[in-house]
Order: sequence, then structure tokens, then C-alpha cells
Amino acid sequence: MPRRTRFGLFFFSLALIFLACLFLRSEQDLHRVWAIKDARIVTLTGPPIEKCTLVIRDGLIEALGAGIPIPKDAEVIDGAKLTVYPGLMDGLGQALLKLPEEKMDMSRISSGDFTDKDRGITPGLTAFDYVNLGKAVFEKYHRLGFVAGHVMPDRGVFTGRSAFLCFSDPDKNKALLLKDICLGIGFSPSNFMVYPNSLMGVQSYLKQALHDAVYFDQARSRWLKEWQGLTRPDHSPNLEVLADYATARKPVIFLCRNQHDIRRSLGLAAEFKLNSFIADLGGEAFEVIPELKKANARVLCTVAFKAPGSSLYAQRGRTERERAEKEVYPKNPARLAEAGIPFAFSSLGTDDPKAFAEGIQKAIEAGLPKEKAIEALTKTPAVFFGLDRALGTIEPGKIANVVLAEGEVLVKEAKVRYAFVDGKRFELKEVKPGEGEKPTVNVTGKWELAVEGQMGMTLTIDFSQEEAALSGKLVTPFGAFDFTGGMVSGKDVSFEISISVGGQDIDLFFSATVEGDKMRGSVVQGGAGTAEFTAKRIPG
Amino acid sequence: MKPTNIVKAISAAVLILGLSGLLSAAEKPILLRNGHIITVSGETIPGGDLLIQGTKIVKVGKSLSVPPGAAVIDLNGRWVMPGIIDSHSHIALEGDVNEMGDLITAEVDCKDIINPQDINILYALTGGVTSIHTMHGSANPIGGKGIVLKMRWGKSAADLIFAGAPLTSKWALGENPKQSNSMGMGRARYPKTRMGVEESIRDEFEKAKDYTRTWAEYEKKAKAAKDSKGKLTPPLPPKKDYRLEGVADILSGKLWVRCHAYQSEEMLSIIRLCRDYGVKLVCFEHGLEGYRITNELVKYGVAISTFVDFWAYKWEAYNTMPQAAALSANRGVLVALNSDDAERMRHLFNDAAKTVRFGGATQDEAIRMLTINPAKIMGVDRWVGTIEPGKDADLAVFNRHPLDPFTVCEMTMVDGTVYFDRAKYLEERKKAEEEEKKKKEPEKKNEGEV
Repeated sequence: MPRRTRFGLFFFSLALIFLACLFLRSEQDLHRVWAIKDARIVTLTGPPIEKCTLVIRDGLIEALGAGIPIPKDAEVIDGAKLTVYPGLMDGLGQALLKLPEEKMDMSRISSGDFTDKDRGITPGLTAFDYVNLGKAVFEKYHRLGFVAGHVMPDRGVFTGRSAFLCFSDPDKNKALLLKDICLGIGFSPSNFMVYPNSLMGVQSYLKQALHDAVYFDQARSRWLKEWQGLTRPDHSPNLEVLADYATARKPVIFLCRNQHDIRRSLGLAAEFKLNSFIADLGGEAFEVIPELKKANARVLCTVAFKAPGSSLYAQRGRTERERAEKEVYPKNPARLAEAGIPFAFSSLGTDDPKAFAEGIQKAIEAGLPKEKAIEALTKTPAVFFGLDRALGTIEPGKIANVVLAEGEVLVKEAKVRYAFVDGKRFELKEVKPGEGEKPTVNVTGKWELAVEGQMGMTLTIDFSQEEAALSGKLVTPFGAFDFTGGMVSGKDVSFEISISVGGQDIDLFFSATVEGDKMRGSVVQGGAGTAEFTAKRIPG
Repeated sequence: MKPTNIVKAISAAVLILGLSGLLSAAEKPILLRNGHIITVSGETIPGGDLLIQGTKIVKVGKSLSVPPGAAVIDLNGRWVMPGIIDSHSHIALEGDVNEMGDLITAEVDCKDIINPQDINILYALTGGVTSIHTMHGSANPIGGKGIVLKMRWGKSAADLIFAGAPLTSKWALGENPKQSNSMGMGRARYPKTRMGVEESIRDEFEKAKDYTRTWAEYEKKAKAAKDSKGKLTPPLPPKKDYRLEGVADILSGKLWVRCHAYQSEEMLSIIRLCRDYGVKLVCFEHGLEGYRITNELVKYGVAISTFVDFWAYKWEAYNTMPQAAALSANRGVLVALNSDDAERMRHLFNDAAKTVRFGGATQDEAIRMLTINPAKIMGVDRWVGTIEPGKDADLAVFNRHPLDPFTVCEMTMVDGTVYFDRAKYLEERKKAEEEEKKKKEPEKKNEGEV
């Protein structure tokens, strides 16, 4: 090929790329006016409106109604086969957070030189600083109808503060709705070396810390008023943050692993008159309904449906545990709805948006009326977090967060065709099932796995791989644990194992790359951070 | 009779019958007949009867008449003893029982972490245990607060709590608080000697006294400000300190001290410390060398809650013998046999038998070590620990004498309610197994067809 032609080709492709960029821009940014014509619109302010037109302008819903005029500058979408729903919202999640990986430095902790972070006391941590948005992530959510979510760090005792975001723009400054809304309170000690290292210690620590924060707040405001005759309190960055939450000026979210945590939370909320939410991560709110009702509690409900280690089901062995996880726990949301306890759904405990959506479907199959499920993903989270004037229903003036589906949302193989988030259109092309790279390795068999670090140990894993699906058994000094639902993609394996040590559940997420008979990767343990590991195949 | 009268009569009858039905549901007397009753408070009654009304024992004797409406349980020669009381346990608690992040943790409270769904509660019942003292571990010179529970399996955390039982403070001396055996895990912590352990307690007492004084001074100033009607500015209250409040509760006698200790010298020195501060030291936990200082234990009224044949698991736990419990009891020390363990808890009666066979205790003494003695240590002897009228109907029924090596606990009652019935339990389990089997069978058939 002559040189010139090659150059020509090069410029030609550059131009193509440029055009492609322009095209993308034009699709998302330049057209700010849309009209969805003849659609069925589930407004949630009244019954659905048939053959209705919805006009979106500059990120907001401008108008809706059957037969309203279509603005001349609007791009029209034929909605004849589509139903429009308010965009669904995750009441509490973590998927869009990328917190810094924590490595436990034992020698530092042993020397006594530990920080509040080692103790799990990080009220200053703000989710907004760690959100990790991207179009690829957005698409996963949009396909299932999710367009906004509430994220909060969940490690330790004072876990950090939350943020509410639209899944609309990779620039978090544009995506943000509200930041530092809630403060997370967890019951899991973050480290067994430092105070508080036990559940009862956490409970006592919380009482003292909440009291200190109220005291700090009062002492400081009194000093600022009187100036004379009073010693000013020492400044404390932690207490400064806590003061807002301990005095109920802002709400806290209790991250409850089981029904007992819920009772503890209600007790603390009553004792310190907190403005609070119960995140029912153990899915046992149904065991505490009278107490929840009495306290006018608001619940963020998991759909992971895993029996906590403290439950009788788990203590009675695997058969009983599995039965409960199939028959008892999925009824939790339905029981809350029946009792009239306000709740939103939380994706905490489910691994990805798909598992979250499947969990919600399970809850519906277990008796939760569909409209209640939709409410728990739209109106309720909006009301909970002070966003109900901007989100939650389809009304003129509100943020244009809507999804257009062929048929219904919250069904298996939901066909969401468009998501409008902050008025931006995201078109969702149909994908063939079984996406993802095909596995190029087979890990079936026994592997010896060495976890590095001071707490390092050697474990054995017996893998069983069928095409891309991975299951197996992990043998630890605390017993053997089965797992399913792992994945092999190319040379990468990933799987999650829930182990139970002394009645405590610990979730371990493994991900590794395989090279022949060796693999190398990392294991993430929710509260304690990440460790590297290597593994080799045991011959035979 | 006019129809209206008939209606009236019928409705009256319905009302009365209905009411009596309600009454009987709540207060239906239960007569246990024809059993050997180990009363503990007096002689054992062979072929005796026992009448329960509501939650209480009302009559014990021979050939009691059957009150109207009573449920009769024929014991058919079985043995009844007061429900076993385990004065040192760590069950029914959620999470770690040691808060070892700090040296002194008087603020933490087992009450906050009661897990009424701990299956060990059911297992305790299968061994005739009806009350326990469940407590903080032994990592701290002054650890957390403990609590007395009744084994009301299936009830809520609040309903497990033994109403009226004094709250306790767990202390520990020796190797555990000085972290002699923790193999370098975690940060080095003061103290590393037994002297240091004692000093850390004394130190905390002084801090708590200061704290109490500060509050008293504040209250004085606050009152003066109030009386001055606006002339004086009300003072800012001192900051509340949950830990020091816990220590102050020990000093005021509100909390009974349960002190983990093995060595006799150490026990003596802690008795002196408690006398200096007027602290209510109730019992040494384990107290394996207690038999060496029986005079002092009796003089200061300190009990021991111990094992029969469990020792030598660490250096400070060597100097004891199978006779220790019996010897101490002979010298007048209040002795209880405890489990400290969910498994041992199910056969404490075997431990009592061992103290007879190997230690030389009398049978009566051995039974007391499981019943009235721990009840006294826990401050609940007004309600439990013996079989006598007025006490709670907390009972354990055995097929043979409870000290017989082949004995099996067949039924356990708490507050007059049967919480464990071995025959019924086994029957239900069999039924469940059969149902499970049935469920699986059709699946198999289908597989066969395929």
C-alpha cells in the first residue's frame, strides 16, 4: 500500500472516531427535549394513564397527559408498545462505591499505634468522595429499571456518610442529588485487637459516643453564646460530624445483621431520640414487627434472603437453613407491607444489580404485591431521604427519571428499552443471553490456596466448573463451606463464599487469574479488608 | 321457664364456664405424683407428690389429694430435683464474650447481647438446667456486667431475664488479664504481673470515686444556681462516663463481684482489696486453690464456683485435686459446680456424681452444689434452688437418681411450664424425619421414570 493511502486511512479513522464522539454527544446532550407519545404511564400519583404523552425538557418532566401538544423542538419516541415507570431507586447500596482497600497492618496495631480507622470509627468518611460512576455500570442498572441510588460505606461502627445519586453522568458532580444525608452505624467490630472488639463493646461504645457528641454540641453552643465563664470543649473532628446525627438534626442508618441488632437499634434510637432508619440486612424485620410498629420505624429491606448465623434455622443445620432461606426469609418484605411498616429496598447483601432485581422478584413471588414493590423502589426512598419533591413519581417539575419498558418492570427478562435519567436518554439495545467472555480455563479439581499476610493461612478448595459456572467447597480450620454462583470468564475466576465462624457470618469474595496450574488473586472480607492469595492445583 | 330466662341462664352458664376455662388455662394446677423428690431443703421423699399452681410449688408431700381440674403427671418412680443452676456460663450471648480492646470494661453489659435463639438454651434444658448466670469473659481485671437468666426457651431476650436477680460484675486475675497465654496477638497491654492486675483495679476505684465526687459537686452548684434565681449561671454538668459509672456501681454494692481466680495468694489479696473499698465480693470463679484458704473464704463469706476434674490447662491451674470441692465444702465454704461451657452444662449432674465418687462429698452436698449453693451465689435462693412450697416450680426429672452414672434427664420445667420433654422431643424428631423422607421419595420416583 502506498504511504499516502495509509495516511489517508489513518485520518479517515480519526475522523470516524471524532464523528462517533459527536454522535454520542448529540444523543445525550444536545437533544434536551423529548416527547414520548401514546405510552401507558404509571405515574404513581393516580391510576396509570393510557395513550399518554410525556414531555421531558432540560432534565425535568415538563408535561404529561393524553393528547397534549407535542413541542416542535422535541424528538419523538413512539411509546405505543411501552409502559413508562418512575425510575427505580436503590434505597441503600454500595455497588457504586469504591472505598480504598484496607490492608490490616498487624505490626502497627500491635505496637498500639492504631487509628480511629482501625477501630471502625470513620464518621468523617463521606461516600461522595468514593463514588465510582461509569457508563458501563449505569447500563447494568438501567436495563433493570434502576436510575438512582443511595450509597453509604458499611464497614465498622460509625461507617461514614451517605450520598444519593442519579445514574446519569460519569461526572459525580453532575450525578449527585444529596450528600452526607445519613450516617451509618454498624454493630460489627472492625478489628479484634482494639476497642471495641466485641458486639457488647460496640453497644457500650455507641452509647458513650452518642452521649459525647450531644455533650460536645451543647457545650460548644453554650460557649459560643456566653463566651465568658466557661471552658470551651476541645475540638474533635469526629464529634463535630457526630453532633448533627446524635442530636437528630440528620438521620442515622443502623446496619442490622439480624433481629437482635434491630432491637438494639430501636433501643439506642429511643434512648438518644435519634432520627433513624433500620437497614434490615439480615432480613429478619418480620420477627420484630410489633416493636417496629411501636417505634414508627422506617426500614431498608434486603433481598438477599440469607439466614443470619444467629438464627435458629442456621444453628439447626444446612437443611433447615436452606428451607428457611427458600420459604421464610423471602416473605419478609411481604410481612412488612402487610403490617404497614414503610420500607424501601436495599441492595446491600446482593452482589450485583441483577441479583438485586431477582431478589425483589422473589419477594413478589413470596406474596409482596407488585405495586408495593414498586412503591418501595420509587416513592418510599424519595420520601425517606427528603427527595420526594424531586423524585419518586411522574409529575411535571420533577426530575426526568423514567424508564420505558416493553411490558412490565420487575419481571424475569424485563425489557427496558429506554432509561431517561436527569432527562438524558439511554437507549438499551437487546442483548443475547450468556454474555461475557467464554472460559478459556477449567479449574475443576482440588487447589491449595495460600492467603498472604500476618493472618495468612492455607486452605483447600475443591472446584467444580461447568462451562462458565463455578461451584465447589472451601475447607478451612473452622469447617468446610460449599459455594455456588461463581463465574469463569476467560482466564478469570470469581466466587463468593459465606463462612460461619462461631455464629458470625463472614462473606469472602475471591477473584483471581489462572495461569496453568496456578492462580493469583485477592480475597475481600467485608469489614477487614483485602488479602492477596496464590493457589496451586493439587495433582491427582 | 320463659325462653328469655333460658337464654339468660345459658348465657350465665356460658360466662361462668368460659371464665373458669380461662382461669384453668392460666392457673391450672399440676400434680406430679409418685416420684422420689429430692427437696434439698429437707429429706428426700420416696414415692412423693408435688403440687404446682401457676409458676409456684404449693405443696410437697406424700399422697396429696388431686385438686379439681388438676393435670396429673405420673412420675412412676422417677427422680425429681430442683432445676440445676449453672452459676458460670457464657451461653445465650451473641458475639464475643470478651471485650479485650481496653483493660477495664465495666461499661459493657451481657444484657445488651442476649440471644434468646441460642440453641444451647435448649441443650441446657436437656441436662436439667433451669437457671444460669451468663457472663463476660476473663480478659479484663474489671470486665463487663453479667446477668442471670431462666431457660425459658422460645421466649424473648427480655423474658429470659431472671427478675430480681442482682446484676454482677466480672473480674479476672492472673494469666488471662495479664495476657500470659495470648501468644503475642494484639498490642501489649499493661499489666504483665499479678501485682499490676490488682493495682489496675485499685486505680479504677480511685477514678470512680473522683467521678462520683465531681457529680456531687456539680449537683451542689446546680442547686445553688437554681436557688439563686438567676443570679448564678447554672454550671455545665460533667461529662457522663459509662465506664466509671459501672465501676461506681461496684463501689456502691449495686453490682455483685464474680472474680475469676486460680491462685490462693491472689484470692487473699483481692479479698483484702474488696474489704478496703467495701465491695461485695461474692464468689471466686474456678478458684481451684480455694481449698488452701478455706478459713479466709468462710470468714469473709466468699464462695467458690468451680470444676470437679478440669485443671492443668495452664500453669496457674495445676495446684488442685478431685477432692478440692468436697474439702472446701466440708470446711464450710459455699461451693457451686459450674460448667463454663455449653457442652459440660448438659451433664453437670455427672460432675456432682464425680465429687461424691472421687472427692468424698456426701450425695446431699453434691446436689446442693448444683442447686441451692449456686442460687445463693447468684442471689436467687429466695426463688429457686430447693423444692419447697412458695418457690418457683423449676424442676428436673430424671429416670434414675441424678447422681447415677446412667441417669438421663427426661423432663425439665421452668416456672411450672414444661420446656423440655424427652419423649415428646424424640417423637417429634422422628415425625419430622419421616416427613422429610416422604418428601424425598416422590422425587426419587420421578427420577426413576426419567
